[in-house]
Amino acid sequence: MAHVVGPEVVKYACTCGLLKSISSLYFCRYCCQLRCGFCVCHEVDSHFCGKCCENLPSSEARLKKNRCGNCYICPSCQQELSTRIGSKGPSNPEDPKSTPKKMYYLSCLYCRWSSRDVGIPDQSAATGGWPDRENVNANRLQEIIEMYKAMVLAEKQQKEKDKKKQRGKYLSYTDRTGVTAAALRKRIGLPVDIQHSLLKAKPKEPEPAIAKEDVEDLPEELLTKPVNLTEVTTIEQRLLQIDLQPTTVEKLFPVHKQLSIKRSLRCRSCEHNVSKPEYNPNSVKFKIQLFAYYHVPEIRIVTVEPLRAGRPSELIIKFTNPTQHQTTITILSLVLSGDENEVKEETGDQPSLPQEKQPPSLSSQPSSLLSLSSRQPSITIKPRPVSQEVNADVAIPSSKVILPPRDDAAEYDDSGDTHNIQDDPKLVVWRKSNKAFVKLLVTPKQGLALNTEIVAGFTMQHIYTNTIATTVENREPDKHDHNIRVFLTLGNLVGFD
Amino acid sequence: MELREINYNKNEYVETASGNKVCRQTVLCGSQNIILQGKVIVQAEAIIRGDLANVRTGRYCIISKEAVIRPPYKKFSKGVAFFPLTMGDHVFVGERSVVSAAVVGSYVYIGKNCVIGRRCILKDCCLIEDNTVLAPETVVPPFTRYGGSPGTNIGDLPECQADLMVDFTRGYYQHFQPTKII
Repeated sequence: MAHVVGPEVVKYACTCGLLKSISSLYFCRYCCQLRCGFCVCHEVDSHFCGKCCENLPSSEARLKKNRCGNCYICPSCQQELSTRIGSKGPSNPEDPKSTPKKMYYLSCLYCRWSSRDVGIPDQSAATGGWPDRENVNANRLQEIIEMYKAMVLAEKQQKEKDKKKQRGKYLSYTDRTGVTAAALRKRIGLPVDIQHSLLKAKPKEPEPAIAKEDVEDLPEELLTKPVNLTEVTTIEQRLLQIDLQPTTVEKLFPVHKQLSIKRSLRCRSCEHNVSKPEYNPNSVKFKIQLFAYYHVPEIRIVTVEPLRAGRPSELIIKFTNPTQHQTTITILSLVLSGDENEVKEETGDQPSLPQEKQPPSLSSQPSSLLSLSSRQPSITIKPRPVSQEVNADVAIPSSKVILPPRDDAAEYDDSGDTHNIQDDPKLVVWRKSNKAFVKLLVTPKQGLALNTEIVAGFTMQHIYTNTIATTVENREPDKHDHNIRVFLTLGNLVGFD
Repeated sequence: MELREINYNKNEYVETASGNKVCRQTVLCGSQNIILQGKVIVQAEAIIRGDLANVRTGRYCIISKEAVIRPPYKKFSKGVAFFPLTMGDHVFVGERSVVSAAVVGSYVYIGKNCVIGRRCILKDCCLIEDNTVLAPETVVPPFTRYGGSPGTNIGDLPECQADLMVDFTRGYYQHFQPTKII
């Protein structure tokens, strides 16, 4: 049932060797490679609060420890708290007609916790103004943080100084004469090792913690009094307020809601963006969206005959062309499935570029595209062997399938458009606009146990039309073959031949 | 997997000019307050409470069997007031779910047996898993997956979720066909 819910039965092998569903893959059109979430750089674009949808600049987010200033979550059940109005007597006691004064308090609509439970006074303003608990150790923590910051700075300066020393090409006279600075100092009676004033300023160390001899006795109540679990906080509740770690429920205080982020993704080999969301937190649109779902033909399983070991069963799959260009799909046998040792060798010997894994048909790739890759790749991704085992053979058809471009208006067109494509009737069962239903024969391997999950695989070669205007003179869109390994989980074995 | 054909008895459904398919065995209270924008499917035994406040859906919404769409209320010192419920395009509401949200954005998927508490705000492109109970006044941000009771953020959605939902609801509408009498 689509990709929204339900099991992922069709998986595509990413360039890095991981198997993913098409919806979680990206397609870098500069490298012409599939990329998954692990082979792209994730960059934080903006911080926003998931409740009030307010954008915060990163500096402010850091200052507020990545938490929203106005929204709170329940310290008891971690749901969002809402502000309630509780009227509290008339604003003017002498005048009985005066409107009652509005007072606000926080309350959780799920577990009924409220800020009145822990004795936080009601506020007169609806937003903000809630008292924040000061951490008793805040000063000490600040001191320690500052010391470490100073240490980092000192180390950096030391490193820079070392670099400068190494770089010094010129021989100084003191080296030749044997009169070094240290020796000079000794002669005139100064302390030997005086460093540069900047470096000398040692970070101020805070007072060291002092161990105490006398420890509080174990309170006897712990052993005598029965434990009232309703008053003791859970581990989750304690860890939610890591600085206070309340042990009893009356010390639970509302917690600021953590911010969410919008992130943009960048291809690691060519440093082009593959995904860049719009700034507005409510928006679901993207400025750059190079998702595989928009560029690579989608495969869906339509029907599978019951699978019996050693007997061919009919499999019908549906191809959908998401692009605005006609494409041709060729089904090839899975290259990297049979001999796994070979795969490892190949990946071990050629760690340089994943492009080398492609068959020679890529030689049609125009030079204009190659010249584009003049930017040095930041990180080369080592392709890994695909760990998925394949236990069924797919009969490779000899003919190809042509998929017409996607046409949004076709939905309203009831005339049976056939595009006059001469199809191999053995391969293509039915087609409509940019979709084609293709029949394949799958034979599970002999000697498999009953109820084994059957996985079949093949290589899908499709013609990808690259529309980036690479150079001024080259206005023609580039067309080249792109191979993707596809793995289909077909279900369990029901019997034998 | 490709969606299977979903057949219905032609006599049980009313199809309007704008393509809405509404089952006769539904409870549509205050039907003058219910606006179905077009190509909306309301399946058997669903309840839409238009008598409480306006209910407005977008295009390609699917309201499954025994689902309840009920405008949210808010308590005031002088009583209770109901607020209109709006739903975006391409929304799926699963079987036996109770939706009492203030706003349901576009491209939202609500699973089976969910309870969406009153005055919740579901932003665009979010997914509520089966058997989730969302506390009242929860805000579900875009591209998040909520689940559990109480509903919490349990994951992210792919960036192309909007297109997946468009494809899903359109496919559902196309496969929702009357049983052919031979």
